[in-house]
Amino acid sequence: MNHRMSLEEFRANRRSILKTMGAAAIGISFAGALGACSKKDGGKMPSTGEEPKLNFYNWDTYIGDTTLADFKNASDIEVNMSLFATNDELFAKLRAGNQGYDVIVPSNDFVERMVQADMLMPLDHSQIPNIKNVDPSFIDVAYDPGRKYSLPYTWLVLGIGYRKSKVKAKPDSWKVLFDSDEYKGRIAVLSEAGDMIRLNGKYLGKSVNGLTPADIAQIEALMIKQKPNIKAFHEDNGQDLLLSGEVDLVLEYNGDIAQVMKEDDDLDFVVPKEGSQLNSDTLCIPKGAKHPKNAHAFINYLLDAEAGKKITEKILYPTPNAAAKALMPDAYKNNPVIFPPADRLAKCEYAAYNAKLQPLYEEAFTRVRAA
Amino acid sequence: MTLFKRTPIAPLDYTRRLWMRAWVGATLFFLYAPLLVLIAFSFNDSSRNIVWRGFTFKYYGKVFENDALVTALGNSLTIAFLATLFSIVLGTLAAVLLWRFRFPLKAGLEGVMSLPIVVPEICMGVAMLVFFARLDWPSDLPWPLNLSAITIAHITFCFPFVTMVVRARLAGFNKEQEEAAKDLGASDWQAFRDVLLPHMKPGIIAGALLAFTLSLDDFVITFFTSGPNTITFPVKVYSMVRFSVTPEVNAASALLIFLTILLTTVALKLQDFSKATA
Amino acid sequence: MQDWNRQKPAFLALATAPVLWLLAFFILPLGIVWLYSFGRNVGLTDIDISGTFANYARALEPLYLEIFGKSVAVAALTTLLCLVIGFPVALAITFAQPKWRPWLLLAVMLPFWTNLLIRTYALITVLRTQGYVNKSLGFLWDQASSVKAFLGLAPLPTWEPLELLYNNFAVILGLVYVHLPFMVLPLYAALDRMDKSLIEASLDLGAGHLRTITRIVAPLAAPGIISGVIITFVPALGAYLTPDLMGGPDSQMIANVIERQFKRANDWPFGAALSFLLMYATFMLIALQALRTRKIEARQ
Repeated sequence: MNHRMSLEEFRANRRSILKTMGAAAIGISFAGALGACSKKDGGKMPSTGEEPKLNFYNWDTYIGDTTLADFKNASDIEVNMSLFATNDELFAKLRAGNQGYDVIVPSNDFVERMVQADMLMPLDHSQIPNIKNVDPSFIDVAYDPGRKYSLPYTWLVLGIGYRKSKVKAKPDSWKVLFDSDEYKGRIAVLSEAGDMIRLNGKYLGKSVNGLTPADIAQIEALMIKQKPNIKAFHEDNGQDLLLSGEVDLVLEYNGDIAQVMKEDDDLDFVVPKEGSQLNSDTLCIPKGAKHPKNAHAFINYLLDAEAGKKITEKILYPTPNAAAKALMPDAYKNNPVIFPPADRLAKCEYAAYNAKLQPLYEEAFTRVRAA
Repeated sequence: MTLFKRTPIAPLDYTRRLWMRAWVGATLFFLYAPLLVLIAFSFNDSSRNIVWRGFTFKYYGKVFENDALVTALGNSLTIAFLATLFSIVLGTLAAVLLWRFRFPLKAGLEGVMSLPIVVPEICMGVAMLVFFARLDWPSDLPWPLNLSAITIAHITFCFPFVTMVVRARLAGFNKEQEEAAKDLGASDWQAFRDVLLPHMKPGIIAGALLAFTLSLDDFVITFFTSGPNTITFPVKVYSMVRFSVTPEVNAASALLIFLTILLTTVALKLQDFSKATA
Repeated sequence: MQDWNRQKPAFLALATAPVLWLLAFFILPLGIVWLYSFGRNVGLTDIDISGTFANYARALEPLYLEIFGKSVAVAALTTLLCLVIGFPVALAITFAQPKWRPWLLLAVMLPFWTNLLIRTYALITVLRTQGYVNKSLGFLWDQASSVKAFLGLAPLPTWEPLELLYNNFAVILGLVYVHLPFMVLPLYAALDRMDKSLIEASLDLGAGHLRTITRIVAPLAAPGIISGVIITFVPALGAYLTPDLMGGPDSQMIANVIERQFKRANDWPFGAALSFLLMYATFMLIALQALRTRKIEARQ
């Protein structure tokens, strides 16, 4: 009881402190970044009428070096970027309520989860005119039809990263990772249960969204059989394992392999012929956001051609922003790792979130790891 | 270099025996070899810590340009300092309580005291997340109040470690010393301050070091108790994993190591100085 | 030991703060999760606390018990290694000249003020197939081989790098690396200001150093050893990062499973049940220990 009382007093105090301090409340300032002065288009955005602040929840280093400073120059809105490490953590944290985040960056299947859990605010497309920059193929997606809640930030596809000098032939099939001892002890695959089981399903000729409990049991047996050939289940850091020569074949996202290919030209990436799983990181506004108008303005800014180009230059992932892509050099646009051949992509699917199957995936994977 | 003084080795001079020195040396090598690699790679001219690409100082410059990184380090150190301070007080009180008194439900209290050590981090993190969300704990206070939730959580999992260590230390206390002090007219408080506290000191120091270390390194519980304005160093590092940790982080870690050594040297010199002048 | 109601003011002065703190900031938050362990998921974010024991029944299935057993074994081995490595180090600190003591303590602790993840990555760099340990060993091997060839003997077979990562050995090594100070500090706290005349007496009476350490020093340091063992074993049991990053395909520990329930699987009730099984077991062990001590004291 006592505790609650003091909490009330504490809150009352806070309000008065905040009032006297005005806008001087401490946030992380990105204004120091040097790029701020090199802004070309001087035109200021109209004020949104909200206090000029925004809490952006993102991965670290997953944005252009000067993007936040450029946005502040253009809009006077100070973006405070805080960080999460995995989608799971993002979801677990927001489950208990929104502590003040305005824009978040969940992946496609988590957009579905969050929509089902009523955690996202619908987007007002009239406030995001730059939607026109998004490649039309990313507008009507199964995980968010009509882009009601999310807009794409980057997209990725899973495939096999490999060391060219250490493989006999291009590892063109999931078989080399999932059902063969050809590269025993030189393989690393993902430690994420759902992705692993769905891709094994893909190898068996099934849709990633069409698995049944019987399929999962079959895949579990396949994975247990393959386990002795696998060196490690990695935490989405497979590109490092490949670059350091620890393994020669790795299940990873194309964007991650593209980054390490800059450091070592003996590396390459292929989307296997059976097709694969697509992934997309998206921009969303969580329910309870305190600055929804600023959030819309920020999302709009990130989808701008020039801003999108700067982001893409930094993170080198495939961009769904057609206008930004057009500004990029040919080395990026025509890179077959970043933009795999269309016929292969045609066989790839987004994994839908399936609340019934998810626990089965987890338990099967726990058994595989324990076997 | 008194360590290498050429006097005969006394029976209790374990530190001066060759096997003991070899053992300590080997242990320290085991502890420090990875750190030396880490420091070496902070000078590596590559955005990843894998292949050596030439020498550079640029990441040290970048640490200081990177406001977010400096803020995160500052937050981590502030939290660790506060958590250690509170943990020492709470932990020592609890240790003396359990050591001195017999009381109802004592076994239960001991069990509960051990739980913060046992509870899986993620479970504690979720518990704290839900707890502070239910209380509607404000997350947009000015610094350092915005760190309050994290600090409270840290104190909770740190102070039982202090209790554990201090209690082990108290087990070797000769109670007659305290009784003698009281017979000589010392009050409870005086006996505590002048007899018991000095005896507990090594335990408290060890406990404080443990608490500081635990707090500085915690990611999971911190993540779940942090708000939009409270990035700590571990949270920053973990959020980089998906795209490889940058050498900036190595540089910051190396700076932290150098800073610690420097501060300790200064502190010890000052202590020597004050002893010499006293 | 005194009875609490004979010295109420002192008792209250000591008890109030820690007990209230535990109640408000530990029992209360954890109580919520404890209730979850009797609940079931309704939709994605709601938990219906229905009083079901289904989560516990599932947690007691052989699959999870086996993982639990394996984790206990790994943590126990880690603790034993830490004790063996850490005891002489603690002893050395205790008997070092006072002026060196803070430096040695700091030397043990300093590595641990570097972030765990960064430290683990550094350890991985050292242990990789093409890391420094393997490079050094390979160099020595080649030298030995050329010396043999020089002497007219058959050279050694080609050097095969050791598999130092992504197996259970790596997990144990990583856990020892991470948990060593948890052992050294309590040992030091207990050994320091130990009555050294006892050791001298033992040595004077003709016991060797090893015998003195095992027969005299170790029993005197018993409380420190016990607390060291507890605060090494328990966190090692809860380790998830080291097995994740350094372990092989089968290096899964119970904390990894618990972590997945709270995160990817989004099954908080089951994660809570697994966590609380761990806590019930520890709680009972500690409380039993406390009861036993009390009985022994009562008899005296």
